[in-house]
This record gives sequence, C-alpha cells and structure tokens, in this order.
Amino acid sequence: MSVLVLEARKWAQTMSIAFSDRLAYKFDFVLYVLGPSIVFFFIKYNLWVSIYSYQTESVIKGYDLGMMLQYQAWILIVSFLAQGHTSLQLAEDIRLGRISSYLLYPFSFWQYHTAAFFSLQVIQIFVATVSLMVLVLAGLLPVNLDLLIQGVFFSLLVGLLWFAFQFTIGLLAFWLEETWVLRVMLMLVAQFLSGAIIPLELYPDWLRSLLLYTPFPYLAYIPVKIFMGEYDASYLQTLLILIFWIGAVFMLARFVWRRGLRLYSAAGM
Amino acid sequence: MAVVGRYLRVYQQFLSSSLSEAMSFRAHFVLLIVMDSLFYLTTLLSVGFIYDHVELIGVWGRWEFLFFVAFMLTIDQIHMTFISQNFWQFSRDIVEGKLDFLLLKPIGGIFLVFFRRIRPATIFTLFIPWGTLLYCGIEIELSLFSWLLLPFFLLLGLVLLVSLEILISLSMFWTYQSIGINFLRMQFQSVSRWPDFVYRHYFRKVFTILMPVLLIGSAPVHFLIDREWLPLVGMFLAIFVCWVLINIFWKLGLRRYESASS
Repeated sequence: MSVLVLEARKWAQTMSIAFSDRLAYKFDFVLYVLGPSIVFFFIKYNLWVSIYSYQTESVIKGYDLGMMLQYQAWILIVSFLAQGHTSLQLAEDIRLGRISSYLLYPFSFWQYHTAAFFSLQVIQIFVATVSLMVLVLAGLLPVNLDLLIQGVFFSLLVGLLWFAFQFTIGLLAFWLEETWVLRVMLMLVAQFLSGAIIPLELYPDWLRSLLLYTPFPYLAYIPVKIFMGEYDASYLQTLLILIFWIGAVFMLARFVWRRGLRLYSAAGM
Repeated sequence: MAVVGRYLRVYQQFLSSSLSEAMSFRAHFVLLIVMDSLFYLTTLLSVGFIYDHVELIGVWGRWEFLFFVAFMLTIDQIHMTFISQNFWQFSRDIVEGKLDFLLLKPIGGIFLVFFRRIRPATIFTLFIPWGTLLYCGIEIELSLFSWLLLPFFLLLGLVLLVSLEILISLSMFWTYQSIGINFLRMQFQSVSRWPDFVYRHYFRKVFTILMPVLLIGSAPVHFLIDREWLPLVGMFLAIFVCWVLINIFWKLGLRRYESASS
C-alpha cells in the first residue's frame, strides 16, 4: 500500500477520534461552541432593530435595517465556518506534559491538532449550513449561489488563519501557566477590529484605514462583504494577502514551537 | 455577631491566599489586567462608535446609554474580582470529586464554594468602569439622591447577578461536563449588559420574568434616570425567589453528587 494511502488513513482515523471526542457531550458542545455565536447574533439583532426603530433617517452609513440585519446574519455564518477552538486542548497537552506521548504515536503533535481542527470544521460546516437554511427561510438572507461559493471558500481560508492564531497562542503554554487569557484577548480584539460587532463603515476613517494593514478585517468584515456581493476590491489580491497572513502566523507558530521545545521538561515521564 | 465575625475571618484568609497565589504567576497577573482593560475599552468604544451616527438608542442619548453600560461593567468588575473564578472552580471540583473536601469543612458549603477564590488582578482595572460611571453620571446630571443610591444599587445588581449565576451553576450537579454551563452563565451575562428596551416584546418578558437578567442593570438605572420604581420591586422579588430555589437545589444537588470515589 502506498505511503500516501497510509498517511490519509491516519488523518481520517485521527479526525474520526477527534469528531467523537467533540461530540461526546453534545449539550456541552452546543453551549460552549455554538451558544456564544448564537447569543451574540441575538443581541445584535435586537440592538439594531431597536436602533432603527427610533431613527428619523432610515439609512446609517449606507445600511438600512434589512442590510444591517443581513450583515449580522452573515457574521454568524462566518463565525461558524471560521472560528476554531483549538488552543484549549493544545495548551493542556503542553502544560500537563502530554506532548511526550506524541513521540510514541505515528502522528506528530501538529498533525494531531490539525486533524482535530479539520474534524471540527466538518461539524461547523454542518452547523453553518443548517443556520443558513434557517436564516434564508426566515427571510433574513437572500442567496446567490456564486457569492455563496466564493464566501464559503474565503471563510474556510479564514478558518485556517484563526487556527494559525490559536495554535500559536496554545504553544505559549511552554512559558505561561494559563493561555486562556490570551485566547480571550484575541477574541476581544478580533471581534472589535474585524467588524464582527458593528460594520467597519461606522468606525472613524483613520481607524478603518489603519485596520486594512492588519489581518483583522479578513476575519469577519471582508468575508461578509463577499457574501453580500459588496466587495469591490480585487479577489486575487485579497486572497494573496490572506494567504500571506496565514503563512506568516504559521511561521511564527513554528518559531514558537522550536523555542518552546528547548524549555520542555516532560512532566510525569 | 460571632458567626459573622467567623465568616469575615475566613474570608480574610481567602483574600490572603488568593493574593499569594496570584503573585506566584506574575505574567498571568499582568495579562489578566490587560484582558479586562481590553474588554471594558472595546465595549465602551463600540457603543461610542454607534452613537457617532445616531442620536438615540431607544429613549436614551449617548450619556444615558453609556451610564448604563458603565453601570453593568462596574458590576462586572466587582463580580470578576470577587466571584467569577469560583464558578469555573466549582465545575472542576464536581468533576474531579474535590467537592468532598470542601463539604467536610465546618462552614457553610455555598459560602465556601462560591466565595473562596478572588482574582486580585482585576482590582487594578477598576478605574475604567468606575471612572466612566462617574463621568457619565456627571454628564447626565444625576441628582444628589441618585448619587447616594448608586453604591447601594450596584450592590443590589451584583447580588441579583450572583444569585442567578449560583442557581444556574447548581445544574452542574446534574451534568457530566460543566464547561457548557459556565458558558451559558456567561451568555446570560452578555444579554444583561444591554438595556431592557433593546429587546423585543417576548424576549424582554422572558429575560425580565422567567430569567430576570435584564433587571440586574435596567431596574436600578431606570430608577436613577427615569424614576421608574416598579422594576426595583421585581428585583427584590427575584433575589428572594433565587435564594429560595438555591437552598432547594443545593440540597437536591448534594444528594445527587456522587463524590470522588464513586
């Protein structure tokens, strides 16, 4: 049997294990992984309906109520497709000295966690599909197949960027007792600067111009604009910039991993 | 009085041990300060950016709305410092069976479980929510009577928030994994951080009567700004009902709890 097939089997098997692991406690999974995004959407939906119902002007920075709700609904879909929850277990593996076990496995540390990320993506794609159907049936989202394919493709790449960020943060467990603080900080900064709370058009001009030089708009604002058919910059250029950021953060992760291994003392061995 | 004194002395020990523990992990200590500051700043700036484009949200202008948000963040700051960590610890104690050791101690179980751990780092971020609250209070020209009531209302809001959270957390006795319950608790907190008029009719009723998280901030701030007193009555009632239920479910939960050895 070729090496390639053997390798593919290992990936499939690890994904299957991670899949079962994730869904072992389904109620917990719903509250932990899906709950925050749904509640975030629920609050913003109510907030914007309330804001528009008291305005004399029906358009705020180019958004009428329908478009604003559409924007927020697409944010929900992008969050399901892109946001991972990788670094929690990864950091625990390091902190509790479990990475020594990976030396015995026919699968490396990064391969294991990447496979776990892919298995979560499968679940997240399913959740995003169901949510999309509900939102379309509720009349909140119009669907254009071309834009949908482009948006999903872009969001899945954004998922890789999220994974790269979280992988790097998880690796900081070589130095820190707890990494959840960094994870929460990333979430807070990303939510605020990516346009996940309010569209970037509502931000001051100087801040919006500055943000375009960072990876943050790629995490929410740009995928949503692609879904809405309102993204007028070059797709190729945007794609290349996103790939650049993914590559840059993975390079950083590699650097952190190498430095961290020098400190690792294999507790419990 | 002797009982209160004993509890205060025990709480002093909790403060002392939490401070020693926090100082052992200095990087974590500093990161907590940065994290909390980021949370307060991003929340306040988001509201500020919205008000750059609208005159009113509901019936409130910028400073009334920011006063409400700062009121909730101030409660959050006290909650994060003195209570929050205990809920995460409670879920671990149940799963790992460590609750056994706590229940053996000669002091009230609920006190020991929910008030044992303090997060001193969060004290250092107090100037953001408290400063904003005071500034917005001046901007909306709160009366002297309202200023005098403000500390009492902050405490009242905190008591209702903590009571609801303890009640939610007791469901951990019945679930195998409890991290999700903690996230549920946090989602109710998120809902409570916006004034009641933001929510549409049915949701407002659900979150005012069935799970009264909207009373935490809306009841006191409506009284301070609009002199509406009826929600305050609801708040007292909610706290009373919560503690009746906490006492019932705590006892039922302990019967359900299987301890470490089982």
